Order: sequence, then structure tokens, then C-alpha cells
Amino acid sequence: MGAKKASPDLLNSSFSFKSLKLKTKQQELLLRVSILGLVYVLAFIARLFSVLRYESMIHEFDPYFNYRTTLFLTEKGFYEFWNWFDSESWYPLGRIIGGTLYPGLMVTAALIYWTLRFLRFFVHIREVCVLTAPFFASNTTIVAYFFGKEIWDTGAGLVAAALIAICPGYISRSVAGSYDNEAVAIFALLLTFYLFVKAVKTGSLSWALGSAFGYFYMVSAWGGYVFIINLVPLYVLVLLITGRYSMRLYVAYNCMYILGMLLAMQIRFVGFQHVQSGEHMGAMGVFLLMQVFYFLDWVKYQLNDTKLFQTFLRITVTSAILVGGIALGVGTASGYISPWTGRFYSLLDPTYAKDHIPIIASVSEHQPTAWSSFMFDYHILLFLFPAGLYFCFKRLSDATIFIVMYGLTSLYFAGVMVRLILVATPAVCLISAIAVSATVKNLTSLLRTKQKVPQTGSTKGVGSSKSSSKVTLDQSQPFQKNGAIALLVGVFYLLSRYAIHCTWVTSEAYSSPSIVLAARGAHGNRIIFDDYREAYYWLRQNTPTDAKVMSWWDYGYQITAMGNRTVIVDNNTWNNTHIATVGRAMSSYEDEAYDIMRSLDVNYVLVVFGGVTGYSSDDINKFLWMVRIGGGVYPVIKEPDYLVNGEFRVDKGASPKMLNCLMYKLCYYRFGELVTEYGKPTGYDRARGVEIGNKDIKLEHLEEAYTTSNWIVRIYRVKPPTNRL
Amino acid sequence: MAPRTDSQSLSTGSAMSDTSGESSIDPIFHILRLIPFSFLRPPRLRLKLPSFTLPSPMTVFALILLTYFLVISGFVYDVIVEPPGIGSTQDPNTGAIRPVVFMSGRVNGQYIIEGLSSGFMFVMGGIGIIMLDLALDKNRAKSVKASYATAGVTSIVIGYVMSMLFIRIKIPGYLH
Repeated sequence: MGAKKASPDLLNSSFSFKSLKLKTKQQELLLRVSILGLVYVLAFIARLFSVLRYESMIHEFDPYFNYRTTLFLTEKGFYEFWNWFDSESWYPLGRIIGGTLYPGLMVTAALIYWTLRFLRFFVHIREVCVLTAPFFASNTTIVAYFFGKEIWDTGAGLVAAALIAICPGYISRSVAGSYDNEAVAIFALLLTFYLFVKAVKTGSLSWALGSAFGYFYMVSAWGGYVFIINLVPLYVLVLLITGRYSMRLYVAYNCMYILGMLLAMQIRFVGFQHVQSGEHMGAMGVFLLMQVFYFLDWVKYQLNDTKLFQTFLRITVTSAILVGGIALGVGTASGYISPWTGRFYSLLDPTYAKDHIPIIASVSEHQPTAWSSFMFDYHILLFLFPAGLYFCFKRLSDATIFIVMYGLTSLYFAGVMVRLILVATPAVCLISAIAVSATVKNLTSLLRTKQKVPQTGSTKGVGSSKSSSKVTLDQSQPFQKNGAIALLVGVFYLLSRYAIHCTWVTSEAYSSPSIVLAARGAHGNRIIFDDYREAYYWLRQNTPTDAKVMSWWDYGYQITAMGNRTVIVDNNTWNNTHIATVGRAMSSYEDEAYDIMRSLDVNYVLVVFGGVTGYSSDDINKFLWMVRIGGGVYPVIKEPDYLVNGEFRVDKGASPKMLNCLMYKLCYYRFGELVTEYGKPTGYDRARGVEIGNKDIKLEHLEEAYTTSNWIVRIYRVKPPTNRL
Repeated sequence: MAPRTDSQSLSTGSAMSDTSGESSIDPIFHILRLIPFSFLRPPRLRLKLPSFTLPSPMTVFALILLTYFLVISGFVYDVIVEPPGIGSTQDPNTGAIRPVVFMSGRVNGQYIIEGLSSGFMFVMGGIGIIMLDLALDKNRAKSVKASYATAGVTSIVIGYVMSMLFIRIKIPGYLH
């Protein structure tokens, strides 16, 4: 009885708040964990705008290929996927999919899918694919926290995690539905860098092993792994030059390079590039240089004679450089070491792509970056980045040297190509976090000094001089304290403006699925154009299963994934001549185009036309690229034939070749009868803003099969040849 | 002073060459000692190999800040796309040519001058934060610290306000 009476008393007393009072260390841990938890959730939900507005679907073009391959992987298993030869794309060539893709993304999504099925959550693979990118973005924030802790301190880590969770530069490629390689690759990139910096700091073999496996994950995920295999040797070289060679660096780099290289060769697409390609030779050169350094260090330890060692040093360094140079020369001259590929060479020499490779120059993501793109994607971080660099230079260590190098190289590449803003984002967020953390620390330390001064004044004896100095200090203290409070309020105001900007940018600019278009109607209501999916499902349900569809390469992946039909060219763009053939067909007169289409066994032609809706990314606006790429392989196609005084026109003043080419005819067939805008004549093209020149179009070898409700996608059937009598 | 140090270095140099000649393991040195230099006498030179010293961190930082300014101003865009320094439109009423500073219509396009001025604003804001940190350094006079603080705060405020103004002009629907 007594015990029973005592236990409620015990419960009551133990539940009072006094016993809930935690020590400072526990308070700090609780604060950190809760902040990280909130940041994790925030990173996930900030990316869900398009799922809430439209539906859970895959966006853009490339993700449809990834979705199709993931579907294949989950249905047929890993070995079928690894050895897959696809005859449904690039007809009649086919594509070795198993050997020409980066499997990391698909395998990751498939693993998540199988794990969920094992736990008896029977989700569709499409939902897993849509939500993979936000999930990995949340994981990236956690890695950013640990990385920030490594470079500076926990405060910087928390700020870095919060900044990277909502940074528009990262959100643009990791929104829900953007099922692309970068979604997983940025996580792998940051993980590899974190593990490597940790390995250099501790010199431990296990961390170096971890970084090698992180590198393997990155190689399996994205072609941008070339950035890692060049940045890490560059970092090692800078450390060697600044005299920071140590055993830790030796262990870390050797382990990561050798194991990473061996693991990377397991990916068929990469193959033997680590020993054969010019882009990977820097890593090998630094590896050999490290061995030379270690050897010299050992010899110096053995010899006690400095003069002797100096001569030995000179001989060894000269001979090492000579041997390395000769080997590189022989390798390059004999062709064993291939030169830098066009995509990466254009990063070093940005004018190269414009002059030599029109396919690379035509992609809008490959254009160089203007200041407004930087501002749009970074906002406040552009101010904090130089300040963060200053703090890093104040406290130079192996880790801060790394983040400075990563930040500078990635920012330069981001300036060359808009798409690479994504790679620079983690570095910019980390360095900005250092600036924020250091500034806030300075300001709060100003706030705290006032509490210390009266204590020392009271414990020491109060002399006259001491009292006068205390008085002067007290006079400046309130001013300093108020100033510090004002500046802290300013810092929080700037960070809140950053959050508002990021949310607005995400909502307005980066959450459109691209396959579903939206516009504002006359009364401000939202109108949805779902023409693409309408056309692909028409193809799927109304054409024979072995039909072959010819379209421009932009739509290839979507046609194969949603329409389930064979295409001639798709977004992989691995065969320039095949694409040029299609470009030639689109820009020739109907008879020549018919011959080309018969030779390729084409049954249907698909074009995208924005004249009725004012959609500006249609095939007529892309037409000059078709001419350029076609003309690059077939000199019979000449760009000036389609221009009038150097200007591209589709109205009455357009060149006759333009008015009669296949693309023009297919886009504007029957368009001359349509009234598109009140007060304008029939056949008014709303995307170009002109009345078309040739309204009376007759098609001889093709017939119209389907036009979507807003005339955005138009499908034509290729008629079989007439019987000869 | 100079001749004395020269003769000193010469004497030490000759002494060094004697000792190194006896115990050198360098085969090329021995060959060279035989073939031309047993009968040729090298002249006494007063040259020194240029020594390579690493610059201080703050020098490197200044160079990096300059590079950052160039990249952020869209320098690569200027070199490749070659936009005009400043755009121009024709006034519909009077027919006069009016300059247009900000290229409108797209996010990823700029004229040269607008890029450089925006980049300058960003760098100014960054330098403001750096000056704030310098103001909290304990080893300076109070007046210097106060002026650093005011300069820093002014730079940050001006840089931020101008950047916001520029982006509002460039993208008309910003934050609506």
C-alpha cells in the first residue's frame, strides 16, 4: 500500500520540468538534431511543387529514358538490364543500352523499390522514380552538415545544410519528377569529397576506402565524375606546392586513386578510360609524382648529408619529369591515350563548341552564364562567397584549401556552362555558410563581452585607473551591444530574403514539368496543355506495334517511353550522321524527303508546332539547328538557302526553299484556314508573330494522321509507294 | 659591401666545388669536368638563379577576388556570345535611338556593361562583410575599427539594394 502510494508521488515529481532541465551539452545536441531534422524535411517538401500542382509524373526528356530503363530493370532483373540491346531506338542501328548508360540512378531507384516491396509497401515504380531526387537532396543536406563540420565547425555545418536545402541552383535539377542522373550524382559528389577530406585529415585507411567507394558510386551515376578525377589530383598538387606533403595525404590519395580506378572500370560505359583517356591522365601523373615525393622523403631520411641529398634531388626530379613527359608524348602520339573529348574540351576552351560541334552548341543548357542566371540561382550567396573565401584564407588548413579549390574551379565551369551551376552549388553554399557562421560568431561574441567585464571588475581591486578605464569601456559597451544587435537583425533579414527568393524561384521557374504546359487565360485562370501525352498515347493505341516514328531527336525518349514505338533518333545523340540524315529529310523538298524516309522504313512523322498556342520551343524555332546539323554532314543542305538577308522568316518574304521544305509543310498543313487570334488574318502564327507565307499546302506522300487539340503535336502517316502499272 | 660578399660567396663557392667534386655521385658532372672544362675555364659570374617564393595568402586572395568578379560578371558569356556593350531601341514616336542597359526577355542574356556593374555590386557586398570582420579585430585603434564598421555596413547595404534593383529591372515579374 505504501509503495503504491509512493509511486504516484514519484511520477508526479519526476514529471516536473525541473528534472527535464538538460545540461548545456545535451541542449546543444537536441538543438542540432532538431535543426537537422527540420532541414531534412524542408529539403524534401520544397521540391514537391509540381507534384501538388499537376500530378506525380516524370518531367522533361532525359528522365523518360531513365524511367524506361528502370522499369526494364525492375521487370527483367539486373543481368537482362546489364546486357540489354535495344532495337526500339536508333532504327535501324539499335543501341547497346547496357554498355552506354550510367547505371547508378536506375540501380538506386530499383533498390529503393525492392526495399519498399520487401516492407510490403506496394508502390508503383513511377512514384519511386519521381521522389528519388527529393529524397537524395535531403541526404545531401546531411552530408553538407558533416562536411561543414569538417571544414569549419558545427555552426557552419548547420548553416550549410540549411542553405543547400533550398538553394535554387540545386533545386532546378532535383525537383520531384526530375529523374535524372544529377539527382543522385550531387549526393555522390559531396559524399566523395567529404570522405576524401576526412581521409586527408585523419590519414586513416578506412576513410580513404570510403572515399574510393564514394567515387565508384559517382562514376556509376554521372559522366561528371571527370570533375572529381581532375579536382582531387589538382588539390594534391596544390598541397604539394604549398609544402603540405604528409603521410596522411600519401595514404589518402593512393588508396582513393588505385581503388577508385579499379572500381570505376567495372562500369562498362567507362571501361578502360582511366588509363587510356587524356582527361584522366592528370590523376595518373599526380599519382606518380606522389611516389617520387615519398621516395625522396625516404632517401632524405636515410642520407644524413644535405649536399648529397640536394644533388640527388635535382637528378631525381629532372629524370622523373623527363620520363613522365616522354611517356605522355609516346602515349598521345601512338594514339593509345585519346585526346580530350569535345564536351570536356569546350569547358577549357569555350569557343571550341561554337565553331566545331553544332550539336553541343545547340543545347540551351550549354550556353555560357550571364550575371542574372547567377543571381537567380544564388541570390545572397554571391555576397557571402567572397567573404567566405576570405575567412578560409585567414585560417588555411588542408580542409579549407580543398573547399576553396572546389569552389573556384566549379564556379569557373559554372560561368562557362549554365548547366554546371549545379556542380558549383554545394561549394558556394559551404563557403557562404563559413562566412555566415564566422560573422554571426563575431557579432555574438561582441554581445557577450559585456557580461565578462563587470565580473573581472568586481573580482579585482578597484584602482582609480582601473575604474576610469572601466567607465570608458562601459560607455562604449552599450553602443557596441546595440550595434551588434542591429547587425544580427540585418543578417537574419538577409537570410529571410534568401528564403523568400528561393521559394518564389522554385515555385515559378523550376517546377514546370515541360511535358505539360500551363498558361494564364484571359481571366487569370490557369489553362493546361497536355498535348504531348495526348499525342504519345494516340501513337500507342492507334498505330501498329512495329511502326517507326521519325521526329527531331528532342522527343525520342518520350516517344519510346510513353508511345512505346520505335524511333529513328533520340536524345542520346550518339550518332551525328543519323541525326543529320533526319535533319536533311526535314529540310528537303517533299520528294527527296520521301526517298530518305523510305530508306529508313519510316511509317509516321511527328512534329511539334507552337503557332496556335504561342509555344516558342517548337520545331520551326529549332529548324535552323536541323539545317546546320544536316548541312554539317550533307553539303547539299546550305543554311543561306533558308534565310533571307541573313534573317529567318516564315511569312511571304521567306525564301522559296523554306516555304516548300517538309518541316514547313508538316507544321503549317491546313493552318492557313485557321483563325488564331481575334483581328488577325487566317494563318497567323502566334509564336513568330507573322502571317505565314504559303497557306495552300498540298501533301503528296504523307497524310495527316492526328493533330492534338491545341495543334501542338502533329502526326503524319507516310503513304506506301503507289503501285506501278 | 657588395664586393666583400661576392668574394665571400666566391670563396665558399670554390670550397664547395672542391668538396662536391671529390664526393659527387653525379656522373654527368664528372663527364663535364673532363670534356670541356679540363681545358676551358668558366668565367666568374655574379648571377643567381631566381628563387621561387610562394605569395602570401592575402595576395592570392586578392587575385582570386578579381577572377571572381570577372566570372560573376558573365565574362565568358561576353567572350563567346559577343553581345554589344549596351543595347539600343528606337523610340517609336521620335525615331531617336535610346540606349537600353538591361537585356530583357530572358534570364540568361546580358549586355557587357550590365554584367560588369552587377558583378561590381556583388563584390562590393562581399568586401563589406570582410570589412565588418576587420572591424572586430582587437589590435586596431578604436577610430579605425569604427570606420571599418561603418564602411562595411554601407557597402553591404548599397550592394544588396542595388542588386535587388537590378534584378527587378531585368525580370519584371520578380517576386510577384
